[in-house]
Amino acid sequence: MSDNRRQVLDMLAAGQITVEEADRLIAAIEDGPTPAAGTGLAERPATAPRYLRVIANVVDDDEGPIKINVRVPLQLLRAGVRLASLIPPQAQDEVNTALRQHGVGLDLSQIKPENLDELIDHLGDLTVDVDGEPNLKVRVFCE
Amino acid sequence: MIPLAAVIAVRPGWRSSNLRLWIPVPLFLVWLLALPFLVLALPIFFIACLASRMDPFRALWVLWQLLCALRKTHVSVEHREASILVHIF
Repeated sequence: MSDNRRQVLDMLAAGQITVEEADRLIAAIEDGPTPAAGTGLAERPATAPRYLRVIANVVDDDEGPIKINVRVPLQLLRAGVRLASLIPPQAQDEVNTALRQHGVGLDLSQIKPENLDELIDHLGDLTVDVDGEPNLKVRVFCE
Repeated sequence: MIPLAAVIAVRPGWRSSNLRLWIPVPLFLVWLLALPFLVLALPIFFIACLASRMDPFRALWVLWQLLCALRKTHVSVEHREASILVHIF
């Protein structure tokens, strides 16, 4: 029995929460991540994401259904970031100045592949689902 | 490793046509055919990089990585009237 589950049951036994509230809490605990008790090990994703997927299903009244399926290797993103490192320093300064003049506080020299690696490693948890309308479904995720 | 093959599938937008073109592209042949031209263009590329104050060897390495990263790219768009699929192996 996990510590969180025991705490919920103790609160129920003490009358601090109702049965329904305890049930909801236990369901939330079981659905969420359960850290390994006593091991002290940090959770790590099973595998790093390798592809960025975009799946879109659109139903147009005039043109009918449109299906879009795109899979892009994340390695392509890393290679694209490395392209930015090819820009000569004096050109980078001019680009940064122009960006600042337009209100974009971006420094091209700070865009480095190692910074992107950390971002990509966490993309495994990214999922974007657009399902608001019956004729439009968009899903963006990493796999 | 650079991609060696690709597949392009196209279904034309002719309402009365069920024709589907399946075109395997042997990219390794494309690279072999382009290799002499790339070798001839290499000095020009080096001069352009040096004039732009870019490291030509690093530029070549980045372009090579960009090419290698194209593997396993998949794009498909299906429409009632036409569809296209591109898959790079």
